[in-house]
Amino acid sequence: MSSHQTHACVLIKPPRHHGSVRRFRLLVLVAWCLLCCAVWGLPVQADPPQAQSAEQQSVLLKQGATLYTNQCAKCHGKTGQGNKEHYSDPLAGDTSIKELTEIIEATMPESDPDQCIGDDAAAVAAYIYESFYQNADSGQVVRRSFSRLTGAQLQQSLADLYQHFHSSAWIEEKRGLEAFYFNAGRWDNKKLTKKRIDPILDFQFGKQAPIEGVDAKEFYIHWTGSVIAPQTGRYQFVVESTCSMKLRFGSDERTLINNHVQSEGKTEFRRTLNLIAGRQYPISIDFTQRKRKTEQPAATFSLRWVPPGGIEHVIPSESLIPNRMPPTFALQTKLPPDDHSYGYDRGTRVDSQWDQAVTQSALEFGALAAKELWPHYKRKNKDKPNEDRALLKAFLTELAQTAFREPLSEPTRKRYILDQLAQSPDDQMAIARCCLLIIKSPRFLYPMVDDQSSLSQRVAKRLSLVLHDSLPSDSWLIGQAKNGHFDATHKQFENRVRQAADRMTRDPRMAAKVNEMFYQWLDLETSAEMVKSEKAYPEFDAHVAQDLKRSLDQAINRIFWDPNSDYRQLFRRDWNWTTPALARVYGQNWQPISDPSESANPSETSSPSESETADVDASGQPAESSAESSAESSAESSGSHKYATVPDPNRLVQSQSNPQQTLGVLTHPMVLANLSYHDVSSPVHRGVFLIRHVLGRALRPPNEAFTPFNPELHPDLTTRERVELQTGEAKCQVCHTKINGLGYTLENYDAIGRFRTMEKSKAINATGNYTSTSGQTVEFKNAKDLANFLADNPEAHRAFVERSFEHFVKQPLSSYGSDVEERLVKHFQQTNFNMRQLIIEIAVVVATEIPNGDS
Amino acid sequence: MKRREFLRTTGISSAAASLVMGLPSLGSAAEAERRRRIVFVFSPNGVIPKHFWPDQAGAEFDFKRILKPLEPFRDQLLTAKGINNQIRGDGDGHMRGIGCLLTGIELFPGDIQGGSDTPAGWSMGISVDQFIRNQLQANPATQTRFGSLEFGVMVPDRADTWTRMSYAGPNQPVAPISDPYAMFDKLYGQTKNRQMLSSVLDDLSGDLKHVASLVSSEDRQLLNQHLDLVRKVEKDLQTEFAAATKNDGAAHAVPKLQPNIEEQNDNMPEITRMQIELMVNSFVADFARVASLQITNSVGQPRMRWLDIPEGHHGLSHEPDSNEEAYEKLIKINTWYAEQVAHLAKRMQETPDPSGQGNLLDNTTIVWTNELGKGNSHTRNDIPFVMVGGGLDFKMGISHDFGGVSHNRLLLSFLEGFGMPQKSFGNPNFCGDGPLTGIMA
Repeated sequence: MSSHQTHACVLIKPPRHHGSVRRFRLLVLVAWCLLCCAVWGLPVQADPPQAQSAEQQSVLLKQGATLYTNQCAKCHGKTGQGNKEHYSDPLAGDTSIKELTEIIEATMPESDPDQCIGDDAAAVAAYIYESFYQNADSGQVVRRSFSRLTGAQLQQSLADLYQHFHSSAWIEEKRGLEAFYFNAGRWDNKKLTKKRIDPILDFQFGKQAPIEGVDAKEFYIHWTGSVIAPQTGRYQFVVESTCSMKLRFGSDERTLINNHVQSEGKTEFRRTLNLIAGRQYPISIDFTQRKRKTEQPAATFSLRWVPPGGIEHVIPSESLIPNRMPPTFALQTKLPPDDHSYGYDRGTRVDSQWDQAVTQSALEFGALAAKELWPHYKRKNKDKPNEDRALLKAFLTELAQTAFREPLSEPTRKRYILDQLAQSPDDQMAIARCCLLIIKSPRFLYPMVDDQSSLSQRVAKRLSLVLHDSLPSDSWLIGQAKNGHFDATHKQFENRVRQAADRMTRDPRMAAKVNEMFYQWLDLETSAEMVKSEKAYPEFDAHVAQDLKRSLDQAINRIFWDPNSDYRQLFRRDWNWTTPALARVYGQNWQPISDPSESANPSETSSPSESETADVDASGQPAESSAESSAESSAESSGSHKYATVPDPNRLVQSQSNPQQTLGVLTHPMVLANLSYHDVSSPVHRGVFLIRHVLGRALRPPNEAFTPFNPELHPDLTTRERVELQTGEAKCQVCHTKINGLGYTLENYDAIGRFRTMEKSKAINATGNYTSTSGQTVEFKNAKDLANFLADNPEAHRAFVERSFEHFVKQPLSSYGSDVEERLVKHFQQTNFNMRQLIIEIAVVVATEIPNGDS
Repeated sequence: MKRREFLRTTGISSAAASLVMGLPSLGSAAEAERRRRIVFVFSPNGVIPKHFWPDQAGAEFDFKRILKPLEPFRDQLLTAKGINNQIRGDGDGHMRGIGCLLTGIELFPGDIQGGSDTPAGWSMGISVDQFIRNQLQANPATQTRFGSLEFGVMVPDRADTWTRMSYAGPNQPVAPISDPYAMFDKLYGQTKNRQMLSSVLDDLSGDLKHVASLVSSEDRQLLNQHLDLVRKVEKDLQTEFAAATKNDGAAHAVPKLQPNIEEQNDNMPEITRMQIELMVNSFVADFARVASLQITNSVGQPRMRWLDIPEGHHGLSHEPDSNEEAYEKLIKINTWYAEQVAHLAKRMQETPDPSGQGNLLDNTTIVWTNELGKGNSHTRNDIPFVMVGGGLDFKMGISHDFGGVSHNRLLLSFLEGFGMPQKSFGNPNFCGDGPLTGIMA
């Protein structure tokens, strides 16, 4: 946002344009300020609208109808549908009658807004509201669109197609990497001196031993565990090592960096990889200081990365887990972006760029299937005969069944496997060829296609697609689906589906989808860089931006994965995850609750008061245990600080609480700094975000491009005063009265999201208001009032339900019918706004729907 | 945009690529300069000098047992005795033997310990093959798709000083590709994938039609668009293949590899043949003008059971000369290596040079070398250097004895013979007298 200062028309993004009933109600407002009837002002004899009897109402509507037909219909169409030559947008939206009246009064007719005031305005407002404005498209059936896999779904499905031949990953609470320190130059169980968890890998051992009991001249450290990719994108791994070192990544068979030979001057290694969010990549590192006659280098080792849009830094402990996960595949082929015009990705278009990317993906997968999956399969089935390539056929059949999410009919098996094998005598080529055809097949690319699958298998397909953006790959799910566990006639049908959905939400794949949803909800891009004015905020640098992102990720994750998964905590949690850099920049609220050095447990990322018990060893013990060698363990108990584990100095810890100023993710600096310019806050961006994203209301774009007033030309005005000056005109106020009223309440947070009480030597005025769809106006004294309002407001709840549904299902909620919407909203309220339960319920709704003609 | 990235993103075949990108291809027959090439063949663990080196220097020389397979190439052959690898510093004899062989410079201090010497790391400099490659690639007239290709045969999957001969620069070892299928992929992957794609499209459109019949007519629209896309790709590929064949079919013929050859010791003969075929084909396609064929590695342990020799080569090479059985086996082993060189030379001789000037061997010099002079003494004096073919401007059909000069001077001669003379190469201290005298034609 920082560079938007001089850009035209960036104030308001285009509305989410979609099939839902509420979204289609649009957008009149400013319509009125553009065109109007030339003649206005027939006398109206009705009572004021305040105290209406049915009779009065009828009179009012009749008068409104006359006024409208004579004066307005020419430009706006007979039923408000619009007119291409004059004003093309339909008169439809979610503004209340009261507000409509005010708008008409203030802006219509454009040539002379004073002509239509008072009762006339009220009559027209009442007429259009009742006749068409409110129900613009009720009765219209919103169709579900038939879709191919989106880019993210393709990546996840291929990852699971690979994963299927191994076992599945699980959610692990512990953080850091497991470390084995040997008093020897290689793995030797007898020489294992210490086993512990290192939270990060950033060591300068120098000429010293890395731990007590190990010879500085000759030692070997083995680190193992997995790396979590917080988001999908290109990651550059950077290793600095002055000693012999080998790094395996993704699988034991994939050596990412091989520095078996330590050679003077060769100490930095960089590799770039595409990683998929929600996947955990096994990693292992062998680090050896070899004894030698010649002089040894000082031993250093550092494991760093440059995440998408980020800066180079030591991989933080929250991205490392000490458990080695099964081998994992991440597609390296770049995929074209999907259509996002409805606010969520949709696979509703096919073109040759997409087709080429799919071909490339299929070739990439095929090469790896031949190299890794097939040998693995052969090892697992080494007792079975491979005569006439029987084993190869079995392997490819299993692969195709998993990809197609259903059993193969004989003709399909012949087409996809037997015919292809007949064409390729070489096994590797045969696998490549089959994979090419399987992955390019509509049976894989269009997950809604059902050919051979039973109803039970369809349930599993949909659960996987909704919750993981993927296909059923876990053996328990495939097994249940195959055995008819999800039989619609069973009296426990829905419960069974719910249980499966519940299990599937406790999964890293789901975590990725959740994270993505929150980013979209918070109007953040996962890989966007955030830059602020160096002059205004010299302390805000890339490192701070990086830590802010970590802090927000952690906040979202912990609120969502808390057993209560309470939506309201998004507005009420009164503390933040902080780091030394954030504490330095953001002041008192961001100071840690206690001195972090006191709880320097290496594997602990500080566990806050809520039931967040992650990051400690499962045993509850400090995650450090001496090896069995008794001689070494006595050395350990003497506990010299010299050998203490290096704690992660940048780890995320809980900040002090401030219930007045820290209001969940609403006031998280990552969010508010993003909704700011590079030097000043932007109440307009913030207001638009609140209206559209949090309250789910519609807004139309401004009538023309505006460049915000330059603050330097108005040195005496506060941001609020400047915005008022620019948007004060009546035609702007149509929307801005809503936008600004919400945006101003966050004025206590500056362009980097830091709390302030003064601007330009004037006290911040953070009062604001909001008028709901029912016409009620709420006043806010400050952000705290706003946060409370949003936490409890039914409109916001409904908006959250709809957003969640559409993100997870990738279809309009209204296409499932209004009773589904009501059911989900009610469920959300009844579960105390438990977000995880909501998503489970969404999955259940979608998965248990009986297809037409199949009941 | 990098070339490979371009190829990948645009998805055009190598055949089409050479047209698009204006690379030299068959058809521009009247090339002024011939296509000079050089190939380094490595075999490990020294030789049995008595049965290797000719007794006489000069044009009238005899072929001893080991070199016997090369006798048919007498007129295009040169033996260079008296070349010593004098590089000192860190690393054991084998490490310096291979690591300094083509680089002519010391190894960095490091932690790889071999024998009783000091440990070492990688070479401090570029190797002569990569130097020539860079010179060729810098000139548009001699630029090729890959510049150089590094073939291996059973090189262990282990990056260390003993397994690397070629260096792109200081601390930058170049890994040879030992798996012929992987090399095939590197050379023909694009073309192969295009052909594979083309061959599955019929099945794909068939099933697309079938699947379209399973969904509603509204949903079918997207599948029909998809089907149109597939048909378009099918058509484009046909046009592309037709154009490629018409323009330069021979140069871009894709060789056929024997299927399902696992990379294991007993398949060494097959793998060597496959790699040789790929090398010859890549010269025909002008993919590169520099290549190496590294048979195993320094201290390599191939077990040549096909010669009834179950013991590993390196183990045998340590046996004293008095062990007659071992001595005889070492002669046989080295003769086998010579046969591979001879086969490579023969295949090149049989293959017309696509430039229109003679055959491939007329324009290619094969340099067969070794990290040691003799296995059981670990000497790096009298390093085996046998050359076949006419890539370098050397006088061939001759047996030299240079009497014990630094091998850097031979490296300089390679450069001189290739038409890119240098004052020094590797460690200048060993280049004092410049290229060898009496070697040029």
